[in-house]
Amino acid sequence: MECLNDGCPKTHEEDIMDIPLDDPEANKAAAKIQASFRGHMTRKKMKEDKPREEVKALAELGWQNAGNFPRILGKLPEFC
Amino acid sequence: MAPKKDAKAAPAKKAEPAKAAAPAPEPDVVAAPPPLDLSTVKVEFTPDQQEDYKEAFGLFDRVGDAKVAYNQVADIMRALGQNPTNKEVRKVLGNPSDEDMAAKRLEFEAFLPMLQHIVNDPNKGTFDDYVEGLRVFDKEGNGTVMGAELRIVLGTLGEKMTEAEIDALMQGQEDENGSINFEAFVKHIMSI
Repeated sequence: MECLNDGCPKTHEEDIMDIPLDDPEANKAAAKIQASFRGHMTRKKMKEDKPREEVKALAELGWQNAGNFPRILGKLPEFC
Repeated sequence: MAPKKDAKAAPAKKAEPAKAAAPAPEPDVVAAPPPLDLSTVKVEFTPDQQEDYKEAFGLFDRVGDAKVAYNQVADIMRALGQNPTNKEVRKVLGNPSDEDMAAKRLEFEAFLPMLQHIVNDPNKGTFDDYVEGLRVFDKEGNGTVMGAELRIVLGTLGEKMTEAEIDALMQGQEDENGSINFEAFVKHIMSI
């Protein structure tokens, strides 16, 4: 679904008008892409700042294998 | 917020995941899918995999009851390399209400077939799916999309993302013109 505006300037209002808000296929495609983004961000976040917090929190809870968290994270992406 | 509710006559809402042909509880852009029967899902993960999943699962248990909250399940699946939509997660959880999402907890044995179902999904997004999805917004046909437009799309279509989510996602992705090469972007997204 495309809106072809001949020679229209690229303003934000024009961009907004082009977005197919009611198109189920566009929404479905968007949801799929958003899902991949959310997956990526969760994994990225866990790799970056969680490990130390998680290990500390787990150690406080008395977990013996809290230090395994980095190892687990290293394995996670292979399950795609 | 009442912690536990008896199944009173709520309008077209069921507390338990019923198999009866109930009408869709909430209006949706697309028709609600039929209730999912997880008893038919065969868990095919190896014992080693299940052990790793159980460890990851346990790391999300903040209560210490060997369970996780329903509203953590999406993140656990993402941590385990999957990319389910929020809708798919809710479906696999039996279409719980918002209250159930916050209050109900799930043990690992019940989680496994849910994860398997998501892993088995034949409609999982591929590199090409994402690239073609973004290409729709490539006005000049040069392999780039305007960051500003992508932000609007992500915030208004599909499962809308919040501004904070979008900012985190787009950080460092736009070039000096505010454009994004979407093939490179998708490669980056899929690399972790």
